[in-house]
Amino acid sequence: MARIYVIDDDEQLLRMVGLMLERGGHTVTLISNPVDGLEQVRTDKPDLLVLDVMMPNMSGHDISREVRSNKNLEDLPILVLTARSQEVDRATALKSGADDYLSKPVTSQELIERVDGLLAKRGGPKKAEEGVLVTLFGLRGGSGRTTLAVNLAAAIRRVSQQEVCLVDLSPTGSQTVMHMRLQARSSWVDLPPDKLDWNTLKNHLIIHPSGLRVLAAPSKPVSAVAPPEETTRTILSLLRQNVAFTVVDAPNVYSAAFVAAVSEADMSLHVVTPEVVSVQTAVQLNRLLAKTNVTIKRKSHILNQVTPEAQLPQSAVERGLNTRVAFLIGYDANQARAMAQGVPLTLTSAKSPLPTVVKRMAEAIWQRVATPTAE
Amino acid sequence: MTMGARNLINLDLFTDAYRVTGRALVGTGGIHAELGNPNSKFLELQDAYISRIHEPGAIIANYKLASFRKDNINFIVLSDRRDGIPVGTQHGRSVFTRGRHIPVFLTVPSFEIQGVVIHEGKASAREILVQSMGRFQLVFEAKASASSAPDISYSGDLILVQKDRVGIFCLDLSQTGT
Repeated sequence: MARIYVIDDDEQLLRMVGLMLERGGHTVTLISNPVDGLEQVRTDKPDLLVLDVMMPNMSGHDISREVRSNKNLEDLPILVLTARSQEVDRATALKSGADDYLSKPVTSQELIERVDGLLAKRGGPKKAEEGVLVTLFGLRGGSGRTTLAVNLAAAIRRVSQQEVCLVDLSPTGSQTVMHMRLQARSSWVDLPPDKLDWNTLKNHLIIHPSGLRVLAAPSKPVSAVAPPEETTRTILSLLRQNVAFTVVDAPNVYSAAFVAAVSEADMSLHVVTPEVVSVQTAVQLNRLLAKTNVTIKRKSHILNQVTPEAQLPQSAVERGLNTRVAFLIGYDANQARAMAQGVPLTLTSAKSPLPTVVKRMAEAIWQRVATPTAE
Repeated sequence: MTMGARNLINLDLFTDAYRVTGRALVGTGGIHAELGNPNSKFLELQDAYISRIHEPGAIIANYKLASFRKDNINFIVLSDRRDGIPVGTQHGRSVFTRGRHIPVFLTVPSFEIQGVVIHEGKASAREILVQSMGRFQLVFEAKASASSAPDISYSGDLILVQKDRVGIFCLDLSQTGT
């Protein structure tokens, strides 16, 4: 999450840009007066500055020059956003000290991509050498696994400011697109089985306004053994090479894709609910994985209470699983509304149990990657 | 009488010595209809930012409101043709976008403009300039380059060129299409 200052005299556009950036996970300060804006930038030194060019009293070019002449601010990334859209305007903006240039009207996706690109380039968190794969799994339906996967991916994106991709491997219809109100124009079923490379895969990823990329499951149920193991491993390998974090929502059937998703992962989160059937299913699955010699790296159990009443206390679940649960997520009444609205709770300002714990999980994951020596 | 919807469009307007970026209030006929409105010799711009032609990136002045004599406008650059003219509906093209696509090269003071004109009927420079509606010629997918500094150029989905200011007008009839 970065502190971004936006200076634009058009208050309507200012609010719109502010909303786009907030949805991208940033803290935004909106300033309509360019002279005041420059003063505030000098005092507060934000992480990034978005500037309009055509403003009364002081143009965006003037502000860029002032910023660049200030020793304290010379490394401040500046993105110019203007209705002057000609090549000569771009050249003038860059000459004045801006780092990048976008012409209005701008889409949320374009803006977030440019902002994140600038943040990553200038002092952003160091990108991991190779991407990290986190798989959420569990064979018990209705455990809230997809909800957690969607929210965790969104939270990692916010915390790390890196490229994050969410992969929905469900063969029973895409749930993630509903959670995020996305138009699933393609899914993994559309990927060519033979010549699958990064460029092809990239074109099948849907981009959420938050900047999160999503590889959707097919909208209609397909064979339970889909996607094939080879395809799954290729997808995950390509994502690992090209994306900083991949969050996989594993199928809730014990298929080749399931095994690939858990065995390829750098971290696996087994989602369990506090009820007898869920714990029994989890125990059976753990036995099966051990019996079939599926190696799982860094496995943790997440106890997710999806109903107002918990059938089992945490201690009983831990006794049943014969291990401690890493995170307990209490019942969150806001989730039903978030699902209906298609906005993951971690992208809202809600302070309820689910976003609070998931943000902690995301921070813990990011911490592990950002400071590998701490392990 | 019912007034049609009016909205503000962004445009770059060029006179002999100045480039002005601003916003104009137009109706459903776009800026072409405003320019052709016989009731006013002036075009009004809001939030006008003025640059000199030879230093087009530098803003030398800005005003909340500016008026221009239509006679003195050499050309206007639009990033979207729909801001300039009615382009038609799903049922058919408008009168402005029907006909052959003819690549053209033309000059106005200080600038040379390349693009495509869309014309129904005989393809000759005179026919096009005389028969096309209004005092501004529509040049689509156009690029205007400063004659003395060709690296200074302005591109637009549509450039409206004052017919009276046209010096040279050339057609490339070998590459016409529909």
